[in-house]
Amino acid sequence: MGKKITSILIANRGEIALRVIRACKELGIRSIAIYSDEDVRAIHVKRADEAYHIGPAAPAQSYLNMTKIIETAKAAGADAVHPGYGFLSENENFPEMCDKNGMIFIGPTAKAMDLTGDKMKCKAVMKKAKVSTVPGSDGVINDVEKAADIAHEAGYPVLLKSAFGGGGRGIRLANDEKQLRQEFEMASAESKAAFGKSALYVEKYLQRIRHIEFQLIRDSHGNGRHLFERECSIQRRHQKLIEMSPSPVVDQKTREKMGEIAVRAAAAVDYLNAGTAEFLRDPEGNFYFIEINSRLQVEHPVTELVTGIDLVKLQIGVAQGEEIPFNQDDLKMNGCAIECRVNAEDPFYDFAPSVGPVPYCNLPYGPGVRVDTYLYPGCTVSGFYDSLVAKLLTWGSNFDEARVRMRNALDEFVIEGINTTIPLYRTIMEEKNFIKGELSTDYLERFRVFDRMNDEAKKSAEEKASAAVAAALLHSELVKKGAPAKSSRWKQARVSI
Amino acid sequence: MEFKVGELAQLLTGEVLRTADDGSVLVNIGNKNHTLKLLKSGTGEFEFILDNRFHHAKVLHSGSAEVRMMLDGQPITVKKHSKLTEVLEKASALGGTGGGDRNLASQIPGRVVNIAAEPGTDVKKGDVIVVLESMKMQVAVKAHKDGHLKEIKVKQGASVSRNDVLAVIE
Amino acid sequence: MHEEKIKRLASMKKSAEGGGGDERVEAQHQKGKLTARERIALLLDEGSFVEIDKYVVHRGEDPTIQKFYGDGAVTGFGTVAGRQVFVFAYDFTVLGGSLGEMTSKKITKVMDHAMKVGCPIVGIIDSGGARIQEGVNSLDGYGDIFFRNTMASGVIPQITATIGPCAGGAVYSPAMTDFVVMVENIGQMFVTGPEVVKEVLSQDVSFEELGGARAHGSRSGVAHFVAKNEYDCFDKIKKLLSFVPQNNAEEPAIVETNDDPNRVNPNLINMLPENPYQQYDMNEIIKSIVDNGDFFEIHELFAENVLVGFARMGGRTVGIVANQPMYLAGALDINSSNKAARFIRFCDAFNISIVTLVDTPGYLPGTDQEHNGIIRHGSKLLFAYCEATVPKITCIVGKAYGGAYIAMGSKNLRADINYAWPSAEIAVLGPEAAITIINRRELKSAPDTPALKKKLAKEYRGKFANPYLAAERGIIDLVIDPMETRPMIIRGLEALATKKEARPYKKHGNINL
Repeated sequence: MGKKITSILIANRGEIALRVIRACKELGIRSIAIYSDEDVRAIHVKRADEAYHIGPAAPAQSYLNMTKIIETAKAAGADAVHPGYGFLSENENFPEMCDKNGMIFIGPTAKAMDLTGDKMKCKAVMKKAKVSTVPGSDGVINDVEKAADIAHEAGYPVLLKSAFGGGGRGIRLANDEKQLRQEFEMASAESKAAFGKSALYVEKYLQRIRHIEFQLIRDSHGNGRHLFERECSIQRRHQKLIEMSPSPVVDQKTREKMGEIAVRAAAAVDYLNAGTAEFLRDPEGNFYFIEINSRLQVEHPVTELVTGIDLVKLQIGVAQGEEIPFNQDDLKMNGCAIECRVNAEDPFYDFAPSVGPVPYCNLPYGPGVRVDTYLYPGCTVSGFYDSLVAKLLTWGSNFDEARVRMRNALDEFVIEGINTTIPLYRTIMEEKNFIKGELSTDYLERFRVFDRMNDEAKKSAEEKASAAVAAALLHSELVKKGAPAKSSRWKQARVSI
Repeated sequence: MEFKVGELAQLLTGEVLRTADDGSVLVNIGNKNHTLKLLKSGTGEFEFILDNRFHHAKVLHSGSAEVRMMLDGQPITVKKHSKLTEVLEKASALGGTGGGDRNLASQIPGRVVNIAAEPGTDVKKGDVIVVLESMKMQVAVKAHKDGHLKEIKVKQGASVSRNDVLAVIE
Repeated sequence: MHEEKIKRLASMKKSAEGGGGDERVEAQHQKGKLTARERIALLLDEGSFVEIDKYVVHRGEDPTIQKFYGDGAVTGFGTVAGRQVFVFAYDFTVLGGSLGEMTSKKITKVMDHAMKVGCPIVGIIDSGGARIQEGVNSLDGYGDIFFRNTMASGVIPQITATIGPCAGGAVYSPAMTDFVVMVENIGQMFVTGPEVVKEVLSQDVSFEELGGARAHGSRSGVAHFVAKNEYDCFDKIKKLLSFVPQNNAEEPAIVETNDDPNRVNPNLINMLPENPYQQYDMNEIIKSIVDNGDFFEIHELFAENVLVGFARMGGRTVGIVANQPMYLAGALDINSSNKAARFIRFCDAFNISIVTLVDTPGYLPGTDQEHNGIIRHGSKLLFAYCEATVPKITCIVGKAYGGAYIAMGSKNLRADINYAWPSAEIAVLGPEAAITIINRRELKSAPDTPALKKKLAKEYRGKFANPYLAAERGIIDLVIDPMETRPMIIRGLEALATKKEARPYKKHGNINL
């Protein structure tokens, strides 16, 4: 490699496309955007140096249409392609195709992607590299006796997972051996019925866990660094809602230890460019490796804020074959950063998706406030793509300053026309367990956060009640004024006898 | 007039007492007098000061029974005529074949990915009738009452908008 | 000193506003119905209602018929969103809302006022019908109302809300008004009630089935709107009033809608399926081109194969008439011809421009249509378009075959601007039907008829399935890129805003009723 990149096609949309375009503008790189029918007026199209239409709204025909995207990249003369997150970012055929067509893929190699994409394979590699993983089976288990043995060794309760299920499907819980045998039979039968074979694996069921991940960067010269941890425990249905750095339970010693392990994990799969090593941490402080995400993640700005490093520019540098421009000890954890993912969903209505035009929005700003978004007054939130509309981040010299800044920024953030999850975050910012750092993946249910949110909404309605009535009265007065009176032609009109 | 603000149980009375020449209005809300001054108004949007506090309101929808607005950036619904609403609710309770609410409407825009019930069968409140997809999420639309599912008005793959009628339950 | 007199007035006022008394008001409420004054309060702007003839009583001598102030109707004037309207509402709590001599005098008084002033009149019906005890006086009363409905027709907008019974001869007044809103499960209209139907025909039918809102909304077309409840009813009336002018000398108000008149939609062509025989929803196209996607549909449940309603384009009110391919493939028939023709005549009477969107394969065939007079009813649509002198803009979106092409606002009916999409197909007949005639001989002697049919149909389609032949004649003014439909229509409306067109002098035409 070692080729200088002068133009990048961003194979994505929304806020991440804008993020990469910004990095391009700082480096003097020509930014090439792509857009579907739905995104004709999107902000990333307006900001890029060039923009090309690639297909109708449906992702399969546009942002997932690898052939069309490669064709467009070539026609536009792009040196490199940045996949963003989601869409094609973890499709191992994509870097291969870029390679075949003489373009640099800003991300890991197809081989590394393939390895990190297969959870079982990856787990095996980690074990070899002496990175501890979640206790359980090393591969697929076909017989219930083996399953019982492994479960006994790992310790109950255990999860029986289907090797082919995804997104939370096909997972069964067994609290003891008797239940394990029952569940195994059923799970096995289900798997056979659905996929033609029984392919299950056993994993220890960790409870009250925290999700802590380490940002990684590895260059083509074998240098690997970590950029500290992010705690992403507050989730709903396995989707992250709030991320922060540092984690309240990670001290400097742990940081160094786990960071080193994360870097080792990246080396074990011969990783390239930016990625994230995800761990689960149990209440006793044990860390278990889950997987490596082979892409730049949604929550990367959290790390940017506490390290001062621009990760996208770093990615581009590595893709050009440069060495990582800092040593591990050059990095210092500075202050605290929090990110809230603002989704177009109604938290009062079971997170029902909310789409439509946004006639007005007011983005918060001020010291320590950063907003990564594709919103602008007059834009439209589409139902064809995911519900993330903005990432609101705050930085403070300590957790409390970051938290209070976030609370105030949430108050300032106005998005009209759609429902968003802002009220949920507002409640969390003042919730006492959050303030204490008592986080876990079951945070929302554990501390009945939704009840609190509903109560607070009620209180806020009470405070605003008089103003609301005043507004309603004013509105009817204004309506009475109606259309401006113009001279009526009625009097001059022809009158019949 | 009596107003019901959002989900608050307590009704608030409100009326305009008089308008002054300088554009300020004297109103009585909840048995207290307040001065209201209109600062600026545009189409459906206006700014006002209520007793020294500044507010911005944008009316999203206004009907005989309610006004939906964004007040200082927060959505809020104010219902008028609550006494009349009580009377009218008797009508839906009385209505012969299923009252006025036979329509099961969608709360969200999306695409129909699954028709989960058979027209011509009886359904119970909470049964899943149709599954919609939006923003890569699947949302189940459930029957709003017990009854006979007369017809399903949408086909697989159809696009629906908010408030579109999906099915009729009698 | 005059305190006594003031006190007396106050007590009379209270008595009058109590209608038929607390008990009867309670009974009305128990049925889930509002009183006449409550309804007027919902319709009009807060505090704008002035009631007149509050103390009118009937002149009958029969002591068994109590004299109530108001005599069964509440009448007066007020504003709706600041615009003057006159209103009358039957009071069911007084003698069952029956119409007597004085009731009619009250109602005709406000109708006369509305005519003098030139503003809309809204009637709320909740009435048991003629007051039998007043005999011919009450029939006279109806006659007076009917005459004024007719005189006012086309001069001021007349709207009726049926929120209760409306039976016998009384139904003819709403029938002559411009728009009828019926409230589901509460409003009923029929000439002969279920009891008589049972007696004479031994047919057992409920009030709702015979003449309820849904029956009239979807089968007879008597009701233009079916409201879910009384709130919905008044919301619809207010919305309707916002589109129409006060009287026939004025144009509807131009409202700022904040929707860019130059907004293009590159997705518009994609709303048409590739296969011309596949159904799609014309509503999607309408909603895309009008301001803020706000299409106020009228007669939603009746003759669903054609869509009519109001919308704004560039802030101007327009009347939209469009085929709906989702029903009967968008073919025209008796009901749709009637529906569209009446709507067009209303728009013409009140200076509302007409925008027509066309995608129709022709008229619905069959003995049912022929024997029920599609010939007569179909001609009404042609008549209405020709007669109308308001700006008329037509855009052919898809198929436009034969007589239906002519009927849907074609150039020769004096539409002012005729646009067509590149997907427009203007022909005398659709391909399948045409080839059976033109290529009759070939097909008879062909070895493989289906294959030949397909080939010929393709050729025919290639030759005729485009708007350019018509464009060559100037019958289509311009073939436009679908994404520009909205700006092109708006610019057309602006250009035609001051249109003036004359018609030969006549007392009135002889439209084939």
